[in-house]
Amino acid sequence: MADTPIPLEVRNIHKSFGDNHVLKGLSLEARKGDVITLIGSSGSGKSTFLRCMNLLEQPDSGDIIVHGEPITFKQTRHGYEPSDWKQVVRMRAKLSMVFQNFNLWSHMTLLENVIEAPIQVLGKPKAVAVQHAMELLDRVGLAERAHYYPAQMSGGQQQRGAIARALAMDPEVMLFDEPTSALDPELVGDVLKVMRDLAEEGRTMIVVTHEMAFAHDVSSQVIYLHQGEVEEAGPPDQVLGNPSSPRLKQFLAPNR
Amino acid sequence: MEWLTTLQAALTDHTVLSADNLARYGEGLVTTVQLVFASLVIGLFLAVPLAIGRSSKRRWISLPIYAYTYVFRGTPLLVQLYLIYYGLPSIDALRDWQYWEYIDRAHVWALVAFTLNTAAYTTEIFRGAIKNTPRGEIEAAKAYGMGYWLRMRRIVLPSAFRRALPAYGNEVIFMLHASAVASIVTIMDLTGAARFIVARTYSAFEPYLWVACIYLCLTFAILYLFRYLEKRLLAHLRPAGE
Repeated sequence: MADTPIPLEVRNIHKSFGDNHVLKGLSLEARKGDVITLIGSSGSGKSTFLRCMNLLEQPDSGDIIVHGEPITFKQTRHGYEPSDWKQVVRMRAKLSMVFQNFNLWSHMTLLENVIEAPIQVLGKPKAVAVQHAMELLDRVGLAERAHYYPAQMSGGQQQRGAIARALAMDPEVMLFDEPTSALDPELVGDVLKVMRDLAEEGRTMIVVTHEMAFAHDVSSQVIYLHQGEVEEAGPPDQVLGNPSSPRLKQFLAPNR
Repeated sequence: MEWLTTLQAALTDHTVLSADNLARYGEGLVTTVQLVFASLVIGLFLAVPLAIGRSSKRRWISLPIYAYTYVFRGTPLLVQLYLIYYGLPSIDALRDWQYWEYIDRAHVWALVAFTLNTAAYTTEIFRGAIKNTPRGEIEAAKAYGMGYWLRMRRIVLPSAFRRALPAYGNEVIFMLHASAVASIVTIMDLTGAARFIVARTYSAFEPYLWVACIYLCLTFAILYLFRYLEKRLLAHLRPAGE
């Protein structure tokens, strides 16, 4: 596998909001088929770190390398900025994101949501995009909801629809930002099942989550963040099963 | 068909609703509808780019547009019409312009005033709708590799237009009613026709009553049109099963 480029590599990411130094030099390497989960209490910087990876947040310094291609940055009077936004747009199309609040486009039906970016961004023909979309919707159990608007679906259905939208891009890496945190407890299971299937078929995923059982079962690597730094990282059996840091022990205590 | 002969008798005897006067109302209706429709269509086309500019983070784009909407929403339409109809022709340089004779007509100046006025209101309506686009939907568009203009065209504007629809329907009705000021600069619109008939028949009440009825019918037609559009275009906001 040495000749295929690494899907996503980020190095030494720093980010501050004013005086608040939220990310203190975080790095991560997602190889093909990796499932990396980021855990930590709120305010640990895990969502901000994830959002820096596709530049929804702009880091203050650091490197982002997508499929072997480094994003070029320059220092302007506004700070550290990508020097070529077209490159950023191109790179974002290779990473697709699933949000905590689903963020489906509310004026489009579910099917229109799924085919939108493949047609407009990747330039796929409509017939191809629709066929692919229907396969994906069938896969997440929403084929009969294809012509519903997001407001007409439950949170769990919207999130599974959002996962279908992410899959439609054939992404190098899928980024999940607390995908089950906004869901009613009885709807979490369906979404996690879809994500387990994706992990099993070898998708490269980076997941910010509070679902420890899920993290334990599917992760190839678990990273525990505390105040913008990696407190502990490693395979799930070690990090979740036999943590060495007292903070992590305390963090995991309610789940025991 | 007794009622028809009664109606005919009423029409021939009646000085206000004579055949001549009905024709005047008809012409006035056509003038009003043309004037309002033309200014709304042109105003709409102006308002879309203006609203995008007004929403821009770059102040040198958004500030001049804000100044324009502020002035045109902050002054009466009648004063704007006076300024344009009486004010512009007093500028020598304009009068010497070779095309002056073609544009120096009351209809043209009324159209200019109405268009600038409705474009200002519509710009602010659209700007509000653009600003209220859910942040998450814009982030999703960014995260899926859409650039600024693609996002604007596919996500922000389609969703903003739908949100703006009820407020824009009100603007259309306001514009119809405000168009009555055209009669003051010699235009024979609906109100102009009514004024003319009042002057002819010395009946101050009835001609205005009829013209009010015509405005009322037009307003209902507009309301009905927008209710239909809202039903079609705002389907996504209703829960399932409706």
